[in-house]
Amino acid sequence: MGFLIETSIKVQQRTFRASSAAAAIQKMTRVRVVDNSSLGNTPYHKAPRVIHVYTKNGIGKVGDKVLLAIKGQKKKALIVGHKMPGDRMTPRFDSNNVVLIEESGNPTGTRIRVPIPTQLRSMDGDYSKVLAIASSFV
Amino acid sequence: MNIFNNLKPLSRLSLSYVCRVLPKTRLQSLSTGKCNLCKAMRTWTQQRCSVFPFRPFSDSSDSNYLYKAYQKSDSSDRYIREKGSPQDFTLDVLVALLKQENALDLCVVKVPEQISYAQYMIVVSGYSTRHLKAMALYAIKVYKYLKKNHDAHVKIEGKNAEDWMCIDFGNMVVHFMLPESREVYELEKLWTLRSYDEQLSNMPEEKLPEDFIFDLEVTK
Repeated sequence: MGFLIETSIKVQQRTFRASSAAAAIQKMTRVRVVDNSSLGNTPYHKAPRVIHVYTKNGIGKVGDKVLLAIKGQKKKALIVGHKMPGDRMTPRFDSNNVVLIEESGNPTGTRIRVPIPTQLRSMDGDYSKVLAIASSFV
Repeated sequence: MNIFNNLKPLSRLSLSYVCRVLPKTRLQSLSTGKCNLCKAMRTWTQQRCSVFPFRPFSDSSDSNYLYKAYQKSDSSDRYIREKGSPQDFTLDVLVALLKQENALDLCVVKVPEQISYAQYMIVVSGYSTRHLKAMALYAIKVYKYLKKNHDAHVKIEGKNAEDWMCIDFGNMVVHFMLPESREVYELEKLWTLRSYDEQLSNMPEEKLPEDFIFDLEVTK
């Protein structure tokens, strides 16, 4: 009986906060632009933030397109790496990397220094252009 | 396939394509009636009396016809086709068809073995967007004809882009660009001088921000 009272007190003290599931890249995440475009590299007082994710649920993984707010303008971008662990045998990066893209799908920058995951090649979508300007693969 | 032996690879390719698509044409007089493909086609294409142009510019109608051809082929036709199909879709085939399409500045780069991306990177220019699209579609058409059942289909990436289209054929990747965008991106330079590329070295070094704190994240 005493044991039961103890557990009920413990339950009352425990406070739960239900937050959303851990997600890779969603709205309001700050991202790192990894290509050599001028828009991505000129310093600004605010970091580039995601304002929309173009997927069915609002969660962006590698290969998904997002809309960024950079330097007060909107720009589409492609996610090339995130901090959240993904599938087994896929690389996990220490920063949420993103490559700027035009409306036509052409990359804005001309070179990418950061390693790009090779799983982009087998994914459904137009990734050959980004893979073509990448300098190293992971 | 005696008619195929003495021809140069380019025309051999076009002839085999013609054999497949045009059942009852003047090709009968050219081939001494021994073209097994044409014979097989003649038996079941009675309803198709119209002569298709040699290489049609509109792809939709022709590819529909090709698809129907695959569907309707009986076992004998398939056997004959496997015996008769000349080659796989190799680099030579691709280069030959690009030259046939009047591609400007064809550049083939052999990708080193360490980079497990593809074996060959090909960059071609065209006169206009329409030219690029035509080249890309023709390449896909030839690939569809020459591919085996276990090979995957290939799609054109960047169809709505005006200046840059890509096709990834497994072991080869082709980029169709306009000369202006080719100058901007300089893909051949990047893929030949991998880490010594000048655009890469001109990129400024990444500097950590002043308030950077390195915290080691322990993952589960």
